[in-house]
Amino acid sequence: MSEIVHIAELTNLEKGRSLTQDAFLRLRKNKMAMFGLYFLLFLILVALLTPWIAPYSYEEQNLELGASPPSARHWMGTDILGRDQLTRIMYGSRISLMVGFIATAVALTIGVLWGAIAGFFGGRTDAIMMRIVDALYALPFTIFIILLTVVFGSSMLLLFLAIGAVEWLTMARIVRGQVLSIKKQEFIEAAISMGLPPSRIIAHHLIPNVLGPVIVYTTLTIPSVILLESFLSFLGLGIQPPASSWGSLISGGVEVMEEYPWLLAFPGVVLTITLFSLNFLGDGLRDALDPKSSRD
Amino acid sequence: MLLFIIKRILQAIPVLLLVATATFFMVRAAPGGPFDKDRSIPPEVITQLNKRYHLDDPLWKQYVDYMGNLLQGDFGPSFKYASHSVTELIAAGFPATLELSLYAILFALLVGLPAGMLAAVKWNTSLDYVPMSVAMIGICMPTFVLGPILLLVFGIWFGWLPVAGWGQVPGDKILPSITLGSVYAAYIARISRGGMLEVLSQDYIRTAKAKGLSTARIVFVHALRGGITPVISFLGPALAGLLAGSFVVESIFNIPGLGRFYVTAAFNRDYTMILGCTIFFAFLIILFNLLADIIQVWLNPKLRQELEARG
Repeated sequence: MSEIVHIAELTNLEKGRSLTQDAFLRLRKNKMAMFGLYFLLFLILVALLTPWIAPYSYEEQNLELGASPPSARHWMGTDILGRDQLTRIMYGSRISLMVGFIATAVALTIGVLWGAIAGFFGGRTDAIMMRIVDALYALPFTIFIILLTVVFGSSMLLLFLAIGAVEWLTMARIVRGQVLSIKKQEFIEAAISMGLPPSRIIAHHLIPNVLGPVIVYTTLTIPSVILLESFLSFLGLGIQPPASSWGSLISGGVEVMEEYPWLLAFPGVVLTITLFSLNFLGDGLRDALDPKSSRD
Repeated sequence: MLLFIIKRILQAIPVLLLVATATFFMVRAAPGGPFDKDRSIPPEVITQLNKRYHLDDPLWKQYVDYMGNLLQGDFGPSFKYASHSVTELIAAGFPATLELSLYAILFALLVGLPAGMLAAVKWNTSLDYVPMSVAMIGICMPTFVLGPILLLVFGIWFGWLPVAGWGQVPGDKILPSITLGSVYAAYIARISRGGMLEVLSQDYIRTAKAKGLSTARIVFVHALRGGITPVISFLGPALAGLLAGSFVVESIFNIPGLGRFYVTAAFNRDYTMILGCTIFFAFLIILFNLLADIIQVWLNPKLRQELEARG
């Protein structure tokens, strides 16, 4: 008996590994997705190292210089106060990426747990939990976040929580669907008949098996979170000065774009390429992890 | 079908009530009253103001009164613009926002649908890759980057189109509509391509081809109806994004619409205005989701039969 289990485990392991390798090989063939991956790694590295590698300090002003176009000393030009724009964009990337990752992590946690619990228990629990998701889907969330920032004042913590609390809905739906299809398989029945507690089955057997779609959707959630934060900062309701995210830099650039177009162009291009990279990486991962799914 | 519509409407009402209640208490829970910021107002006047706006009533009474007025379409007075009611302000701002959204969706459909259909018919050729790559750029470029760029290039550098306003100079509606619509054009192109590709691989399309029908007839008569269903289910939820986008577009192009009123109200902490607008937006979104659901069922015979089978 134990030998049979052993062999079954071995073959399972073998198969699992080759599937992952397969997926990675497929991803490597996708040039746009690989470009996205490399650009993101580069961006994360720059954001982490900014305090040490930024060409100027964050506060440094040069009022005599004022707004100057890109030059050898200031690669992306300077703003009206003579602050180096490359430095400001680098510091902005720290905030934009941090909001992107942390808010996505919040959404991921709520969504995966919610979907896994609903899908695993099924029946009445499932019906109630998914009805709540349906109801929340109908709410005007961007408007709700604006409302929250007005009522409680805008802080980073609030941004993380508010954006995260909004973006978990689709995740919950995806995980629930996956769990429903996995639940019927023998290894879950085996786990139940062995008397494992539901918490352990969910954490050790269900969630690892829904990872593929979760990874894909996470990659696609990060850009929408970054976009949402930039949108709020653009309206002046997100990150407050002296801190600046890409959104607030773009907002400042729009005000003076007639005279100093580079103050709009550089943050705009950086934000667009970042969103582009994340979307292509997400699409590439979807194709790689699930070759059957079609690209919409 | 009628039963389905009634059922969906009955489902929408508690959601709307929930939004109104949650918003009401959230705004009331905000630290500080609406008049705290104006230091120059003497305390007697504040008492008077509180009395006038019934802020001295117990919270439950304020809530009951507000909900009662709401049912009659009365959103109460604006805190900042004392001479106007919130209902008046919404009525003043909404037409421009609605018109802008309609033009944006129209632009999105006119550009997105043909592009998606072309890409599906010419699948895996440059006529597929080029529009889809452009669509990807369109999805990734935020409205608040695209808008200023269009404004700068076509409004200021070339001077072809007006840069601000709504309905004052001919052509001033073009740039805002394109700015707001382009993201949706991109999404619609991708979705309609996916939908068409799926339909085009069905057996009845093969039969149509075998009968020797022209490509145009197959695409427009046989495939279109099934192919655009996903686009329609996308349009309902897209409205939520469209409203949020109109906030940005209206502030970039200086359009006196509801989105700009809302953002201004957010800055001014005009609580009644925020409250009223939020409930109004929620109502709109729920309404459009409802319409999208109904149209979807009506277009798709499979869903219709399922409904009738369930009774």
